[in-house]
Amino acid sequence: MFMKLALQSLLDRKGSVVLSIMAMTISIFVLLSVEHIRHEVKESFSNTVSGVDLIVGTRTGSVNLLLHSVFRIGMPTNNISWQSYEQIASSSNVKWAIPISLGDSHKGFRVLGTNQSYFQHFSYGKQQALRFAQGDEFDAVFDVVLGSIVAKKLGYQLGDSLTLAHGIADTSFSRHDNLPFKVVGILAPTGTPVDQTLHVSLQGLEAIHLDWQQGVKISNNSLTQTDLEQAALQPKSITAFMLGLKSKIATFKVQRQINTYANEPLLAILPGVALSELWQMMSMLEKTLLLVSALVFVAACLGVNAMLLSSIRERNREIQLLRVAGAPPRFLFLLLELEAIVITLTSITLASILLLMSLALSQDYLVAQFGLHISGAIYSERSVGILVAILLTSCIAALIPSVYIYQKGINVGG
Amino acid sequence: MAIEVSRLRFSYPEQPEHSVLTIPSWSLAKGSQTFVYGPSGGGKSTLLNLLSGLLTPTEGEISLFGQRLDTMSSRQRDQFRANKIGYVFQQFNLIPYLNAVDNIRLACQFSQRKKQANINDDITDLLTSLSIPERDWHCAIRQLSIGQQQRVAIARALINKPKFLIADEPTSSLDPVNRDAFMALLMSLVAENNITLLFVSHDMSLANYFNHVEALTDINRIEEHV
Repeated sequence: MFMKLALQSLLDRKGSVVLSIMAMTISIFVLLSVEHIRHEVKESFSNTVSGVDLIVGTRTGSVNLLLHSVFRIGMPTNNISWQSYEQIASSSNVKWAIPISLGDSHKGFRVLGTNQSYFQHFSYGKQQALRFAQGDEFDAVFDVVLGSIVAKKLGYQLGDSLTLAHGIADTSFSRHDNLPFKVVGILAPTGTPVDQTLHVSLQGLEAIHLDWQQGVKISNNSLTQTDLEQAALQPKSITAFMLGLKSKIATFKVQRQINTYANEPLLAILPGVALSELWQMMSMLEKTLLLVSALVFVAACLGVNAMLLSSIRERNREIQLLRVAGAPPRFLFLLLELEAIVITLTSITLASILLLMSLALSQDYLVAQFGLHISGAIYSERSVGILVAILLTSCIAALIPSVYIYQKGINVGG
Repeated sequence: MAIEVSRLRFSYPEQPEHSVLTIPSWSLAKGSQTFVYGPSGGGKSTLLNLLSGLLTPTEGEISLFGQRLDTMSSRQRDQFRANKIGYVFQQFNLIPYLNAVDNIRLACQFSQRKKQANINDDITDLLTSLSIPERDWHCAIRQLSIGQQQRVAIARALINKPKFLIADEPTSSLDPVNRDAFMALLMSLVAENNITLLFVSHDMSLANYFNHVEALTDINRIEEHV
């Protein structure tokens, strides 16, 4: 009966109640999405690379190196000579090394030049190795292995051929169109930037840049594919490389050796440490976003209270009636609190539905555009904590109208 | 005695020197039906609020059925009111957004009746005996006529089987035909259930329904403290 009274009374004031619920739904939606996306981005980033002990690149910021080598965000500032790579890769502590060469693209997707050890040693998530959905790793100079999203978005099958563009812009005018690549493998989805990458051999990259100088094509069709496949294509430089060490204990030692490498200025980073540096940079932004959304919620809460408070004025006779029927003032207090709780719970439900719907709609876009896998599991321990805090906050905020109606209830005779 | 009032004085806390009500001694017999008339502003609502326990006297005693209302805690008074007192107002007797059945059930919410199982049967019996058509039981109160609303109000006031019924100008918003029907119904129900009735109105034409008629000015002997 108590619940019915609260519900019916809210239904009776549909207009203002619906507006309050809308305001609150939007504010809870913002809070939940900020929290969820924050959590998921971290998860997604942390899952991108695993089992790599060191990432080596040219001297730059550690976050910068991490971003362009692993997440394909931003550009490398300089290259590393092949000799340095070979020397470090063959040192006694190193178990395996994956060279990475970036800079070209295909229809907006980045092209990664590497070798076979990439498919053997690169892992993501919880030490999961790369798997092939179709085909196999590249073998010939002009073979290409596609990430799952590249294959899906561009509709490539095994055996299709494609040409690469110089630079990373989709509309690049300088194309390596005289030298097409053949799709030999398509990787299974990983939920990491690997899905949006085209993998070619370092020799392949070397071949298409053979008749280029300073990033400009200097002649047309001077070289044919067969010429190139016969030539010994030794890469001169790469962008970065990843190292797996024989013993984790040696990590810092190897890192120091690389950082003090005499022949060339190099930087070695631990992915985990660089990632936490990145989070530190982001935490200010995160906190600001969370604070802003919390304030939006408080504003919505006050809006609900203003609505409840003004409703009390219209309910003078109702209060008198309930009191005469024997309702104690605390009943009126609880009635208003219950109305606030009903509004909040409705808003939480609607906000969750809204968030789930918008996640479902934007998932493909986020993956394609940012390589972010935002899962639909919006109820983490933390977000449930936030929901409880939301409920408590609105109960506390509703004390204002509730105490007011309580006072009215006491003074009903006077 | 159903009601005994002695040496009662009431003033609002804001104006402690200004007595609104002073009743040296007044009582109502059990089962009596009393008509009190008086102009508005004569302390009428204050008296009714004191008798229903919504207000407590500044001085003096009020006893209902042998129980001292003035010494009860506010919680006890709320409970007492829910169990023993029925109330019918001039208008707005019902929560507008609940239907007739829920309005009556709400009155049970605060009384000891809450625990009893046969509330629904009683509500059905009561609404039937007050000749409210069944199709109106679950309509929003707003859709009922004023006459019907006042009948539902009686049902709400009587559902807890009160011993004391306060009627505060219940006929003022009714036309003469409805008023006479309402009065006949009220009087028969009160007599049937042996309820003590206090009926307050300024409409002297209603006095002939009652065996006791008193003027509020005779009960309330304010001596102005200037």
